[in-house]
Amino acid sequence: MDRLLEEIPRFFNYYNMIFIGQAFFYTTAMSFIGCTVGFAAGFGLAVMRHERIFRSLVLRLLAITYTEIFRRIPFLVKLMVVFFAFQLSGLEVSMFTVAVTTVALSAAAFASENVRAGLESVHDNQWDAAEAMNMGGLTALRRVVLPQSWPVIIPPSMTYSVGLVKSTSIASQIGVLELTYAAKVMTNKGFSAFLCYGTILVLYFVLCFSLNRFAAWLETRLDPTRHRPA
Amino acid sequence: MAYTLQFGQVTPYLWYMAGGAWIALQLAGIAFLFGWAIGLVFAAVSEYGRGPLRWAVRGYVIFILNTPLLVQIFFIYFALPDVGILLGSYEAVAIGMALNASAYLTEIQRAGFRSLRRQELDAAETIGFSRVQTIRYVVLPHIVKVLFPPLSNQYIILTMTTSIAAIFGVEELTGRAYNINAETFRSLEIFSIAALYYVVLTFVASTVLYWIGHYFFRVQGKVF
Repeated sequence: MDRLLEEIPRFFNYYNMIFIGQAFFYTTAMSFIGCTVGFAAGFGLAVMRHERIFRSLVLRLLAITYTEIFRRIPFLVKLMVVFFAFQLSGLEVSMFTVAVTTVALSAAAFASENVRAGLESVHDNQWDAAEAMNMGGLTALRRVVLPQSWPVIIPPSMTYSVGLVKSTSIASQIGVLELTYAAKVMTNKGFSAFLCYGTILVLYFVLCFSLNRFAAWLETRLDPTRHRPA
Repeated sequence: MAYTLQFGQVTPYLWYMAGGAWIALQLAGIAFLFGWAIGLVFAAVSEYGRGPLRWAVRGYVIFILNTPLLVQIFFIYFALPDVGILLGSYEAVAIGMALNASAYLTEIQRAGFRSLRRQELDAAETIGFSRVQTIRYVVLPHIVKVLFPPLSNQYIILTMTTSIAAIFGVEELTGRAYNINAETFRSLEIFSIAALYYVVLTFVASTVLYWIGHYFFRVQGKVF
C-alpha cells in the first residue's frame, strides 16, 4: 500500500498523462469511426433484406447470411480473421485500420438487426398508403417509414455502440495503442498493475457511462411508445 | 507471392477444437450460474433494498456495466496479486466473467421483478393461496416467461465472450486455435474455422434454448 502511494505522483506525471490521453483518443476514434461506418453498412443491409423495398431473394439471403454469421463470432476471433485476411491480401495497413474494420463489421451486423426492428415497428398500412400515393420503395422508406422508426432504431444502437467501445479493449491484442494497451505498456515500465488498470478502468467508465446516460436521455426524448403500431 | 488457403492441414485438429468448444460452453455455464445467483440477490436488493446496501449494489452494477470485461479480468489477474490475491488464469477468467455477468443478470432479473404486478399477488391471496402456492403457481410461471428469452441471450453472449479466456492462456476454443496456429501457421484457415465453430455453437444453442422455452415455459419470441 505504501509502495502504491509512493508511486502515484510518479505515475501521474506530464508525459504519462499525454500518453494515456493519446490512448484514450485512439479508443474513442476507433469506436467512433468503426460504429459510424458499421451503422451505415448495417443500414444498407437492413434495407437490402426488407421485402417492401427490394424484392430480390439473392439480396435478402446475402444480408441475412451476413447478419446471422457476423453477430455470432466473438470480437477476438473476428479481429484475428480480419488481421490475417489483411495480411493475405498483401495490403499494408496499420493495426488501427484492422481494428476499425473489425469494429465496423460487428457494428454492421448489429445495426442491421436494430434497423430491421425499427422498420418492422412501422405498421404495414403505412407502406400500403405510401404505395397508394405512387411512392417507390426507397421514397416511401425515406419519407414515410424512416421518420417513424428512428426512435426505435437509435436507443438500442447507442447501447450497442457502448458495448463496442468496451470491445475495442480487445484490439490491444494486436497492438493498437488504445487504453488497454497503454495500461500494459505502463505496467511493463514498472508501475504497479493496480494503478495502471485502475486508471484505465476509470477512464473507460467515464467514457461508457456518459455515452449510456446520453442513450438513456435520447430514449426518453424520442419516446418510442408513441410510434408503436396499432 | 500468392497465398493459397489450405484447409487440409487443419482437418486433423477439428476434434481438438470441438473439445475447446465444449470447454467454452462449460466456462460460460460456470459464469452464468454464479452470475445468475449473484444477480438474483443483487436484483432483489436493487428493487427492495434501502440505504447504503442498495447504493453499493447499484454502484457495483453500474461500474461493471460500463467497463470492458477484458480490463476487469486484467485487473483481477494482474492487479489483485499486488494486494495478495493470487489466482490461476482459469480461475481469474471464470471469476471475472461471473462478476461481469452478474451485473448484466442483475439488470435482467430486476426487469423480471418489475414485471410482477401487485394485482396478481392480491388475486392469489384472495383465492386463498399460501405463500408457497403463490410463488409456485403465480410468481414463477410469470417470471420464467418474462425472463427466459433475455437469460438465454445472456448465456449465448457469454459463450462468445469466453473467447477472451484465450488471452489469459486458457485452452478453450480460441485458445486452442492459437495453439494450432503456433504449430501449423495456417492462421487464416484456423481462425475462420474457429469463427465457424462459434457460429454453429451459438446457432445450436439458440435453437435448443428456443425449443426449451417454447415447450416447457410457453415462451413466445425468438432467442438471440
